[in-house]
Amino acid sequence: MEKAVVVKNLTKAYGDFVAVDHISFEINKGEIFSLLGPNGAGKTTTISMLSTVRRPTEGDAFIMGHSIVSERYKVRKLIGVSPQDLTADDELTGYENVLIMAKLFGHRGREAEERVRWSLKFMDLWDNAFKKVREYSGGMRRRLEVAMSIVHNPSVLFLDEPTVGLDVQSRRHIWDLIRELKKNEITVLLTTHYMEEAEELSDRVAIIDRGKVIAIGTPEELKAKIKGERIYIRLRNQEGLGKLLEKVNEVIPGSSSISQGQLVIKVGSSSEVLPSLVKVLSRYDVIEIKIVKPNLEEVFIELTGRELKEEGGFDKFKFVMNRRRMAR
Amino acid sequence: MITETYTLTVREVKKWLSRKGSFIVSVITPLFWLGLFGKSLNFVSMLSPSNIPPQYQAMLSQYINKQLISLFGTTSYFTYLASGMFVVFSFFQSVFGGANLVFEKRLGYLNRLLMTPTPRSGIFLSKVLGTLVRILFYESVLLAIAYALGFAFKPGLTAVNFLAAGIAIILIGLGFSGMLVGIAFNIDNIEIMFAIINLINLPLMFASSALFPLKQMPSWLQGIAKLNPITYAADIVRYNLIGTPLSNYVESWAILIGISIALLIIGLFAGINAMERM
Repeated sequence: MEKAVVVKNLTKAYGDFVAVDHISFEINKGEIFSLLGPNGAGKTTTISMLSTVRRPTEGDAFIMGHSIVSERYKVRKLIGVSPQDLTADDELTGYENVLIMAKLFGHRGREAEERVRWSLKFMDLWDNAFKKVREYSGGMRRRLEVAMSIVHNPSVLFLDEPTVGLDVQSRRHIWDLIRELKKNEITVLLTTHYMEEAEELSDRVAIIDRGKVIAIGTPEELKAKIKGERIYIRLRNQEGLGKLLEKVNEVIPGSSSISQGQLVIKVGSSSEVLPSLVKVLSRYDVIEIKIVKPNLEEVFIELTGRELKEEGGFDKFKFVMNRRRMAR
Repeated sequence: MITETYTLTVREVKKWLSRKGSFIVSVITPLFWLGLFGKSLNFVSMLSPSNIPPQYQAMLSQYINKQLISLFGTTSYFTYLASGMFVVFSFFQSVFGGANLVFEKRLGYLNRLLMTPTPRSGIFLSKVLGTLVRILFYESVLLAIAYALGFAFKPGLTAVNFLAAGIAIILIGLGFSGMLVGIAFNIDNIEIMFAIINLINLPLMFASSALFPLKQMPSWLQGIAKLNPITYAADIVRYNLIGTPLSNYVESWAILIGISIALLIIGLFAGINAMERM
């Protein structure tokens, strides 16, 4: 299959800090490919290298066969980028914002206007096209960022955290639109720290952590890395956990551990062990039992020992921090 | 490149026009300078004691006027100051144009532009031209205000005089906004940018003939003022609008053009270098 993006040993170091550490992957034409990882994993730095804004310290990448190091101008004509920041001008209308982008990509007059109309309609913004952006909602602003990046019909589209900070409804809306993009034969590279997003949208996923790609494959392939399901048990009295672990080990040998204040049992299928587990649990004051089918979050925990997203409410802070890092 | 530069310049102007408060804020500073400082420094009444006999009054004011003309080239210090302020205002606007870019970098717009095939020089020039449009607009407002407050144009003023004064003001704008935009491309911290602005703003205004004539200054300050393009622009504006004699007219133009273009080119290279280096 033809490759839209080929990344070879791409590395970016800031002094001693290696933000992106010899990553390699390939994206097929027409594919939706996700870089999934926590904040600060190096996703945005990767995008800024692939989009020719930052020069790699080492390695190279090819967009439709053109090097991001030696053929930057050609690469810029082929790509569209929807950055994590909300960049559209508040003081201008959505239409004006998109029109500026069309013109910067060399489209003129009628043709440019047609493209802007297409792009805004595609992103469901046409009804609000002539309103000032400052009147837009968060979801509309995000969609406008994407509209600004697809107006010139790029071969490869980079979407950097396209739904960060949005409510579920707006997020689903954007997901639907991204799926539509695929029909237009645009190759999409998406970065996200939402595992549902990667799972819902991607043909293939690369899990990235601390600047390194630690796993790559279709969501199904990745989930197959975890065998079976997990049962999480939380007790009212945390001291009882050790005792419970011993008891559980007697019934279901060698697959349990205590992690972050809860008992984790790895099983092939929960339905087989539940009857015996219930007997053991009846003597404990259980406040929560969670049975989790394999998902990408679990894959990340399995591979790194950490959770993909930190405790709730982190988004805003991290987001600002990311922006600060980008601005440097 | 021309279309891209034009597109981005129009963006700058549209953004500026939609910021409603900026007009008043921008006009108010030079207005204070003109109205309060320029109008209150009435040397004739300041220097005339009230208790001298009336027959000497006329003689004294004649003497003071003679002194003023030899010093400022006009009896109205307001007119002298206002013509200098035209140049200083162009300089101020240029300097603050750079700060605007530092904000825009923060918002991520510059990054977005850098991901497009837009020529880097076009990105730079649109910033400079956007500032220039603002300057031209505000200068016209300022001129109207100065006229209303009693600006004394020289007799026999022609359109050529206006054109020459305008070009001198534009050159100051091109040079300084070029330099400051170039600096801004290299700076990510708005506080550092403002520190730089403060560092050059007042010294460059005072070390020039914008507020006071060079011959009133200590010689070391004269030395600095003679390197300052604001001095030459102010001299050219005065020569054209109020008829202050200028012995080295052609030389003044040559120096003004030379320094302004040099600043613009240095800024251009500093800006492009910053964009390519990241």
